[in-house]
Amino acid sequence: MKNNFSILTYFKKDRWVKPYFKKYRKMLFLALFLGFLTFFCAGALMFNSGYLISRAASLPENILLIYVPIVLTRAFGIGRPVFRYLERLISHNWVLKMTSDLRLKLYNALEKEGIFLNDHYKTGDILGLLSEDINHIQNLYLRTVFPTAIAFILYIFIVIGLGFFSLTFAFWMLLLLAVIIFLFPLVSVLINGAHQEQQKSARNELYSTLTDNVLGVSDWMVSQQGKRFVAHYERKEVELREIDRLIKRNDRRHNFFLQLFFGVIAMALVVWTSQRFVGDHGGAANWIAAFVLTLFPLIDAFAPLSDAAQETNIYKDSIQRLNRLPQADIQKMSVPNLLTETANFDLEVKSLNFSYEGAGKKVLENLNLTIPFKEKIAILGKSGSGKSTFAALLRGDLKPDSGSVELNHFPTSDFGDAMSKYMGVIHQNTYLFHTTVLNNLRIGREKAEEAEVWQVLEQVGLKEMIERLPEGINTMVDEAGLRFSGGERHRLALARILLQQAPIIILDEPTLGLDPITENQLLDTFFEVLQEKTVIWITHHLQGVSHSDRVIFIEEGRLEMSGSSGELLVTNARYRSLMAIDQGTA
Amino acid sequence: MIDKTLMTMSGIKRIMSLLAGLAVLQALFIIGQAYFLARAIAGLWNGHALTVQLSSLAIFFLCYFLRQAVVFFREKILDEYAAKQAGLMREKLLQKVFLLGPAVVQENGTGNMVTMALEGIHQTENYLHLILAKMMNMMIIPWLILIFIFTLDRRSGVILLIVFPIIILFMIILGYAAQAKADKQYAAFQVLSNHFIDSLSGLATLKLFGLSKKYATSIYQTSERFRQATMSTLKFAILSTFALDFFTTLSVAIVAVFLGFRLLNGEVFLFPALTALILAPEFFLPLRDFAGDYHATLDGKNALQAIQKVLIMPETENRTELSLSQWQESSELKIDHLNFRYSTETDFSLTDITFQTQGYQKIGIIGASGSGKSTLVNLLSGFLQSVQNEKADIRIDQQKISHLAQNDWQKQLLYIPQDPYIFHETLANNVRFYEPAADDRQVLAALKVAGLEALINDLPQGINTLIGESGRTLSGGQAQRVVLARAFLDQKRKILLFDEPTAHLDLETEIELKQNMLPLMENRLVFFATHRLHWMSEMDFILVLDHGRIVEAGTLEELQQQQGFYVQLTQEMRGGKQ
Repeated sequence: MKNNFSILTYFKKDRWVKPYFKKYRKMLFLALFLGFLTFFCAGALMFNSGYLISRAASLPENILLIYVPIVLTRAFGIGRPVFRYLERLISHNWVLKMTSDLRLKLYNALEKEGIFLNDHYKTGDILGLLSEDINHIQNLYLRTVFPTAIAFILYIFIVIGLGFFSLTFAFWMLLLLAVIIFLFPLVSVLINGAHQEQQKSARNELYSTLTDNVLGVSDWMVSQQGKRFVAHYERKEVELREIDRLIKRNDRRHNFFLQLFFGVIAMALVVWTSQRFVGDHGGAANWIAAFVLTLFPLIDAFAPLSDAAQETNIYKDSIQRLNRLPQADIQKMSVPNLLTETANFDLEVKSLNFSYEGAGKKVLENLNLTIPFKEKIAILGKSGSGKSTFAALLRGDLKPDSGSVELNHFPTSDFGDAMSKYMGVIHQNTYLFHTTVLNNLRIGREKAEEAEVWQVLEQVGLKEMIERLPEGINTMVDEAGLRFSGGERHRLALARILLQQAPIIILDEPTLGLDPITENQLLDTFFEVLQEKTVIWITHHLQGVSHSDRVIFIEEGRLEMSGSSGELLVTNARYRSLMAIDQGTA
Repeated sequence: MIDKTLMTMSGIKRIMSLLAGLAVLQALFIIGQAYFLARAIAGLWNGHALTVQLSSLAIFFLCYFLRQAVVFFREKILDEYAAKQAGLMREKLLQKVFLLGPAVVQENGTGNMVTMALEGIHQTENYLHLILAKMMNMMIIPWLILIFIFTLDRRSGVILLIVFPIIILFMIILGYAAQAKADKQYAAFQVLSNHFIDSLSGLATLKLFGLSKKYATSIYQTSERFRQATMSTLKFAILSTFALDFFTTLSVAIVAVFLGFRLLNGEVFLFPALTALILAPEFFLPLRDFAGDYHATLDGKNALQAIQKVLIMPETENRTELSLSQWQESSELKIDHLNFRYSTETDFSLTDITFQTQGYQKIGIIGASGSGKSTLVNLLSGFLQSVQNEKADIRIDQQKISHLAQNDWQKQLLYIPQDPYIFHETLANNVRFYEPAADDRQVLAALKVAGLEALINDLPQGINTLIGESGRTLSGGQAQRVVLARAFLDQKRKILLFDEPTAHLDLETEIELKQNMLPLMENRLVFFATHRLHWMSEMDFILVLDHGRIVEAGTLEELQQQQGFYVQLTQEMRGGKQ
C-alpha cells in the first residue's frame, strides 16, 4: 500500500510536471482521445467482423444488408493503425514540449547556485543524473500515465455502452474490469514494490562498489588480489539475483492469473450474450460473435497496466530529486553601475571575517588589504588556507560575516551578475563548451568582431595553432578536444577574458599540475597581456612569482607576510627557504 | 538478427529444442481455443441452448488455460536460463577487468566498464530472453496456425500467406528509409542532446561572464529544435510499426469481408469461418511481439557485442617467467634497447631505453612534459608492455623476461601516482589494502609515520571513519599520505614507483610531505618521475628523458658538471628569472 500511495503523494507535491498539464491541455486531450480511438477501432473491427459473418451466414436475401458492416470493417481496419500512428506522434510531441519547459526550469533552478554549482555537485554525474531524470519523466508519461488514462477512458466507455443493453451485465463488467484496472495493478505494486525497493538499493550499492573498485583497478592489479574482489563482489551480486528472481517469479504468476481472468471475462460474455441475444440461425444471435470477439483486442489495452503501475517505482526517485531542487526566483536588484572612464577600480578589504554556514571555524579572520588598480598581487597559502574563499569574497559571490569588501566604495556582493563587467576569472579547469572555438571565445563578449577575436588569439599566442585547425576558428572544440593541452586551454581562457574587457582579473591557481616549462611560458603571456589590469593571482608555489608587485601569504585565514618578492627574499628567512626549495637549489 | 555468440552458450541447444516444443504446444492450444470458442458461438447461433455448449466452452477454457500455462512455463525456463548465463558472463567480465587492469579500463572508460558490468549484462540477459522466445515463436506458431486455417478456408489462408511477406518487405523498406533519415540527423541530434548537459556543466563559466540568465532562452530554443528534429525523424521511424499495424488489421478486415461473401454464397459454414476469423489475429501475433521488442533486442545485441570485445582482449602471457622471492641489496635490473608505442599512435613514445640498476638505488626520472616519464613508469610497473624487437632485452638477476608484468615483480611494487585512488572504505582499510591482516596498532603506527595524526584526531570515528568518494573526502596531500602509510605498513614490497606524486600539491604541503617520504625510500629501489627539481638532490642516479629517449644519465653532480641537457632543462624550468 505504502508504495502505491507514496507515488501519489509525490504527484500531489509535484511542482515540476503539473503546471504543464494546463499549459498544453488541448494537445494532451487530443493524444488521449486518439489513444482511445485506436482501441475503439481495434475492438470495433472484431465486433463488426463477428457480426458481419454471422449476418452473412444467415443468408440475407439482399447483399446490401451486409454492405454497412463491410464498409465499417474496412474503415475500422484502416482507422486503428492510422489513429495509433497519430496518437504516438502527438503524445511524443506533447512530452517533448514539456521536456523543453522542464529543461528550462531545471536550468533556472541550478542557475541560482551559480558559480558554486560545481562545489555542490562535485562530479558531473549529478548533473547528468538530473538531466536523465527529465528523460525519466518523459518515459513515465509515455509508458505509464498515457496508457493508464486511455485504459480508464475505455473502461468507462465499455461500461456505459453495455448499460444500453443490460444494466445488470454493465454492472458485472464494471466489477470484472475494475479487478483488472485497479486490483491487479495494486496487488502487483504491493507484492513487488518492496522487492523493487530492495532491488534498487542493491543495484545502487553494487554500482558504487564497482565504480569505486574499477577506479582503483591499478591497486588491485599491483596487489594481485583482483580475484579476491571479484569473489567478494559476486557474493553481493547473489543477493541481487535472488531479488531479481523473486520479482520475475511474481511477474510470471501475476501475468498468468491476469490472463486467466480475461478467460473468465470471455466466458462471462458468452454466457451473457447467449441469454440476451437469443436467435435461431441468426437474428439476435448474430450479436453473440460480435460481443465475444471484441474482448480479445481489448486485452492489449488492459494487460500492460500492472507493469505500468510497477514502473512508477522507478520514477519516484527522479521526481523526488527534482522536487528537492531550489525554486528559481528571478528578482531584480539595483546594481551599482561604474563608469569605465571615470571609475578607479581599487579593491578595499576592511577587517574581513568569514566562516561557512554551519562550520564554526573562521575561514578568514580580520583581513585588511587594499589592491590598487593595475597592481599585480600574488596570494600564496597552503590548500585549505582560505585562498579560494577570499577570491569568491572579492568577486562578491560570498558575503562577509563582518567587515567589508568594496570595489570603488561599493560592496562587491551588491553587483550580482553585473560583476562580470568588472572582474574576470581564470580557473584551474577551463570549461570549453561543445561548440566552435569562435563561439567559445565569444562567451567573453558576444558581439566581438571576428577580427577582434583573431587579435586576442594572437596576443595569447594561439593564432597559428587555431589557423592550422581543419576549419580554423570554426572548428568544434570537442572534435579538437584532445588537441588542446592544458596550457592551450588556459590560453583560450585568457583570450576569452581579454574579450570580456574587465579591469580586474582573478587567476585562481591556473597552472596547477602543469610542468614548469609550460607554466613559465604561460605566466609570461598572462602578465604581458594583462599589464593594464589588476591581477589577483592565487598560486600554490613560487614559480614565476617575480611577475608580481606584491606577494601575500594567507595562513589559517590570516595575512602572514606581505611585500614584494625581492623584499621578502632579503627580509624573510622563511620566504628565502621556500624559494630555494621551489627552485630546486636547496 | 540472432547473434552467433549466442549459439556458443552452454545448454543453448537444449533450451532451443525445449522452446520449439513449447511453441508447437502453444500453437496447438491456440488452435484449440479458437476452434472450441467458435463451436460454442456457432452452436448458440444455431439456436441451441447454452447448456449444450458447456462442453465446448469447458474445452475452450482448458485450451486457454494450457496456452497461458505454456507461456508461464516458457518464461520460467527462460528467466532462469538467461539469469544463469548473464551471471557467468559477468563473472568472466569482471575477472578479465581485474586481471587486465588499467589497460582495459583506460580503453573503455571507467563509467563504461561499470555500465557494461551492470546495465550491459542486464540488457544481454533481456536480449537472450527475448530473442530466444520470440524467434522460436515466430518460426513455428504462425505456420501451424496457417496450416489449420487452410484446412478451414483456403482463401483466408491465401490472404494471410500473401500478407506476411508484404509486411516484412514494407517493414524492411520503411526501416531503411527511417534509418537513412536518422543517420543524416544523427550528428545534429548529438549536438542538441548534449547541449543541455554541456550548458549545465559550463554554468559556472556562464555565470562568471554574466551570461547565465540570458542563456536560459538558448536552452529552451535548443530543446525546441531538438523536439522538432526528433519529431521529423519519428514520423519516419514509426512508419514501420504503422506498416505492421496497417497490414495486420487490414488483412483481418479483408479476411472477414471475404468470409462474409463466401458465407453469403453458401460456400462455407459459420463455424469454420468464425474459427478462421478468430485465428487471423493470432497468426500475426508472434510477428507483432517480435517487432514490439525490437529496440530492447537491439540494445541487448549491442551490449553483448561490447562485452564480447572485452572478453576476447588478449591476456598478458608469460607472467611467470620471473622467479624472484624478494628484491634485495644484490638484485639487479637490466634493461636494454626497449621501445614502446601506444597502439593508437604511429610514433614511438619511448625509444631505445637502456639502463641498469642494482639493489636499493633511488632513481630520478626527469624531463619536460611529453618526454615519456609516465610511460616509462608504466612500463616499469608492467601496466604497459614494450614492443617486441630483437634487440630488446630485460633481465632481472640474469633471468631474461619479455616484459615486467611478472607476478613476482609486481608483488614487490608500490605504485604512487599523481592522484592516488582512495577507496570508499574506512581509513584503516584503505591503509591495509596491501596487508589485509595488519591490526589497528600497526595501521595507527603507519599513519603516524605518514604524518596523518592530525587527520585521525579530526575524524569522527578515528581510523574507522569512511573516506573516499561520498565519505569524507581527503585533500591531495592527505590522499598521498594515506598511500604512503600503505607503504610503511608493507615492508615486504621493496620497489617504489612514483609518478609525479606532488604535481598537484602546494609548495608547503609538498615540503611537509617530503619529510615523510624520505625515510620510506630507504632500503628500497625507488623510481621517481617528477618535474620538481628539489627532489633530484635526494636521488642516487638520474635519467633525463627527452622525446622518449634517455639523453643523459648519471648522478646529480655528474649531470651538473657536464653542463649538458640536464642543466639546460633546469634553467628552462626555473624560468631563468632569478
